[in-house]
Amino acid sequence: MIKIENLSRYYKMGPTTVKAIDGINLSIEGGEFVSIIGPSGSGKSTLMNIVGCLDSPTTGTYSLAGEQTAALNKDQLAEIRNRHIGFVFQSFNLLPRESAVENVELPLIYAGVPPKDRRQRALEILKRVDLEGREYHLPNELSGGQRQRVAIARALAVRPKILLADEPTGALDTKTGAQIMELFRELQAEGVTLIMVTHDRDVAAQGKRIVEIRDGQILVDVPVQEWKR
Amino acid sequence: MKTFKFTESVKMSLRSIASNKIRSFLTALGVMIGVAAVIALVALGNGSQKSVEASLQSLGYNLLIVYSGQPKGPSLVRKNTTNIAPSLTDEDLNFLSNLPKNMVLHAAPESSVSAQIKFGNTNTGGTVVGTNLEYPSIRNFHPVYGAFFTEEELNSRKPVAVIGAQVYKDLFNEGFDPVGQKIRINGIAFTVKGIMEEKGSSMTDAQIFIPITTFQKYISGSDKYALINIQAANMDTMRDLQKFIEGELLHLHRLPGMDSADFYIANQLDLLNTMEGVTSTFTLLLASIAAISLLVGGIGIMNIMLVAVTERTREIGIRMALGAKSKDILSQFLTEAIILSVGGGLIGIIIGVLTSYGASRFGGMASVISVQSVFVAFGFAVVTGLFFGGYPAYQASKLDPIEALRYE
Ligand SMILES: Nc1ncnc2c1ncn2[C@@H]1O[C@H](COP(=O)(O)OP(=O)(O)O)[C@@H](O)[C@H]1O
Ligand SMILES: [Mg+2]
Repeated sequence: MIKIENLSRYYKMGPTTVKAIDGINLSIEGGEFVSIIGPSGSGKSTLMNIVGCLDSPTTGTYSLAGEQTAALNKDQLAEIRNRHIGFVFQSFNLLPRESAVENVELPLIYAGVPPKDRRQRALEILKRVDLEGREYHLPNELSGGQRQRVAIARALAVRPKILLADEPTGALDTKTGAQIMELFRELQAEGVTLIMVTHDRDVAAQGKRIVEIRDGQILVDVPVQEWKR
Repeated sequence: MKTFKFTESVKMSLRSIASNKIRSFLTALGVMIGVAAVIALVALGNGSQKSVEASLQSLGYNLLIVYSGQPKGPSLVRKNTTNIAPSLTDEDLNFLSNLPKNMVLHAAPESSVSAQIKFGNTNTGGTVVGTNLEYPSIRNFHPVYGAFFTEEELNSRKPVAVIGAQVYKDLFNEGFDPVGQKIRINGIAFTVKGIMEEKGSSMTDAQIFIPITTFQKYISGSDKYALINIQAANMDTMRDLQKFIEGELLHLHRLPGMDSADFYIANQLDLLNTMEGVTSTFTLLLASIAAISLLVGGIGIMNIMLVAVTERTREIGIRMALGAKSKDILSQFLTEAIILSVGGGLIGIIIGVLTSYGASRFGGMASVISVQSVFVAFGFAVVTGLFFGGYPAYQASKLDPIEALRYE
């Protein structure tokens, strides 16, 4: 499903170059549940952006479902983001002037789903993330955890094959965090490929495979059973 | 594969317009003012052109006017002759009347004064004009009802009057036959002989024509004329005729040259040329002022849309991250600009039409709304939206999703 070879992402900051990702090789099969772990600034978000087709590598290749992403144009990438990838941003990225349900509808608009179906699907998904009764609230009328769940609902709206979640439990208390992890396990059972970034080792252990990153390089890549905490 | 629909852009734009009402209003305001200005100013320009044309036409054809007073150059339709001592004599009139018909067709003296006119208890104001029988032919201005006064009435200084259409409206009920009725002009009783045709100019229609002899006897007490109207036989030789008459009148008045003359001659051709030049320049000036305000309106749209794009960079990034293509963003922002400019344009049309209507109704200004200017102004508004909204929209569509998402 995902095949990353010798991939690097550099940021030029004046005279110095920041190697946010520095020569990574990573393959993820369909239906896997991968936890990416590592200290702050180690390149986790940068990697997620590339996997999510938002950013492109400086060197190396990334192929998604057998297709080289470097060969795709802006519109084709937009379509892949829209149809195949659900992205839960670290900072939620909700539209502040749109209600919860309208935010969830956004990707469906660009997928060309008719207004009626759109609303119905958005409401169903909000129910699934336990946000019944909050559908018509604006983001600033919701708690951090509720906003996080709107962001997750939005990522799930188009029923993506791949769900990318950058620190999805960062803003949640343990109980809601556990609910989200339960939802993720359900999604995996439905065949969705999950890649989750976290710096919480307990949360990471909920995944099936652990990838540990430091300074833009992969330090450890093992099944969760073999992972020594 | 389904594509992002136009109706979605419209819905999104309307929502974004509604969510920032003041900014939207200010954006549309420029176009509103621009369109309203184009319509109203062109209407006023047209109106003044039409009214000048009308009053020039109401003058008659091949007209030369000999005025009492110092030479001043071509002037508007009628001088205020009441303040100037009349200096034209019977001798002058006789000379002009007796010129051969291949030079001068008609000559009519004219003296006038503002007066109070009364019928029963009804009062109105008007200009009492004393003249002779040639006047209607020269000025191409005839009675529609009744008759002009006769030669006999002129010779025997009869107190008879032919009233202008406005005077009739002011004094009598519609349909009332005024012929034979007694009206009072400055207290003196006159018998109404007829009603003049309506020329549509308030100045012209508020006149009352009486024999010049009667005017001299009852009103001015002087045997001089304020002016003499002359109808030339031939338009092509009007300037030569003017020179000839100037020379002869100087001789009659025993004066050395036009520098010291107590009369001057205005030529209808000069008036016409001057006025046409003035009014078309005037209309052009108004139209360019209006065009500039429309342009400023357009720049206003661009300015505010550019700010909006910057302000909404993050929103654009989010939309792109969720699958919006460049053309989706482009159409969203372009639709927004077009809705604002079309909306502004429509409101501008209403304001412009009401303003021109109000200017003529309550401001006493002539205004003729040109349908063409409405379409041109509206078309301009739409083009303004496309053009000045297009650039910011294009900027928005070219943003890089990851850069836009990082924007704070
Ligand atoms: N747009 C950017 N410009 C410059 N440097 C960046 C940019 N984005 C990330 N970085 C740098 O790349 C490194 C990795 O960042 P990131 O992937 O956000 O780390 P993490 O998500 O693991 O905390 C950091 O050193 C960060 O400062
Ligand atoms: Mg991060």
